[in-house]
Amino acid sequence: MSTNIDIQESSKDTKGKAVLVTAPARPGGWKKGIAIMDFILRLGAVASALGAAATMGMSDQTLPFFTQFFQFEASYDSFTAFQFFVITMAIVAGYLVLSLPFSIVAIIRPHATGPRLFLVILDTVFLTLATASAASAAAIVYLAHNGNQDTNWLAICNQFGDFCAQTSGAVVSSFITVVVLVLLIVMSALAIGKH
Amino acid sequence: MEKATFVELSEQKISNQNGKMKRGVAVIDFILRLIAIVATLASAIAMGTTDETLPFFTQFVRFRAKYDDLPALRLFVVASAIASGYLILSLPFSILHIIRSSAGMTRVILIILDTVMLASLTAGSSAAASIVYLAHKGNTKANWFAFCQQYNSFCERISGSMIGSFIAIPLFIILIILSALVLSRR
Repeated sequence: MSTNIDIQESSKDTKGKAVLVTAPARPGGWKKGIAIMDFILRLGAVASALGAAATMGMSDQTLPFFTQFFQFEASYDSFTAFQFFVITMAIVAGYLVLSLPFSIVAIIRPHATGPRLFLVILDTVFLTLATASAASAAAIVYLAHNGNQDTNWLAICNQFGDFCAQTSGAVVSSFITVVVLVLLIVMSALAIGKH
Repeated sequence: MEKATFVELSEQKISNQNGKMKRGVAVIDFILRLIAIVATLASAIAMGTTDETLPFFTQFVRFRAKYDDLPALRLFVVASAIASGYLILSLPFSILHIIRSSAGMTRVILIILDTVMLASLTAGSSAAASIVYLAHKGNTKANWFAFCQQYNSFCERISGSMIGSFIAIPLFIILIILSALVLSRR
């Protein structure tokens, strides 16, 4: 007895075709919205990180009076925390710029978890870096504003007003970068986690 | 028909391996959380119990150093305490993920809270590290004196308590990365 084996060649052909052709794109929905928000926030974070690094890097004030032995000058160079701040904020800004293509890929393919996962991992590392530099600079700026009586540290802001204002502005800008990075991680995690 | 069952069996195998991987990651997550609790708690206690009085005094001033005197160190104690409290409260969720590897929403909540805690712990410990650096080196331009030269044991205490938080911060990063990895494999 011969058994009838149904060789469904036509379906095999279409199956082969389906493998070569990319799957039809599902509508993006809220994930695409999150990806667009992610891109815009990333641009904002680039601006604030670059602004912080530039403002701190250009902070320099020389007082108009001087004694016979030294001139009263304050620049970011004098404080290790500020040097660390400038370098780190520049690195964070560079990373954010380099991560923009991945963000664009996430907009084009809203349901792919690969680019988002990559962004979450790197965002976490650079969030830590940015927070560390922002907080250490903030501690110095707080000291410069208020001084400390117990350790007899004078508040230099009373003399170097401009320098103080520039460094404070840079620290505020870097904290904006930190908040934006936290938001980026949260949004990417939500987009990965909710299927 | 055979092809269909073969595909079904291989899918089952993949989901079994997925389940095992998720369980392994959940166990690692739990262990890392325990280590981070110990680290942050030790940091907070070590910094919080600092108190040194120098053996000499003048007629008007008594030389005493506590963590209270420096706002950045106070911030560090608070941030470490909050981080360790959060980690203790998140242990039940970690155990839940070991038992049931299909919980989705709780993992997302855990990632979000982990990120917030990472940011606050890093901020607190970096601010304290900045002050500790100043205590060791001082700053000649601003005329800030390095008080470590006088308050030796206070200085050693505050420097040592930084170690705990510098252990906990990479652990937090690994926790977040692990959770994100598990979330993406569903």
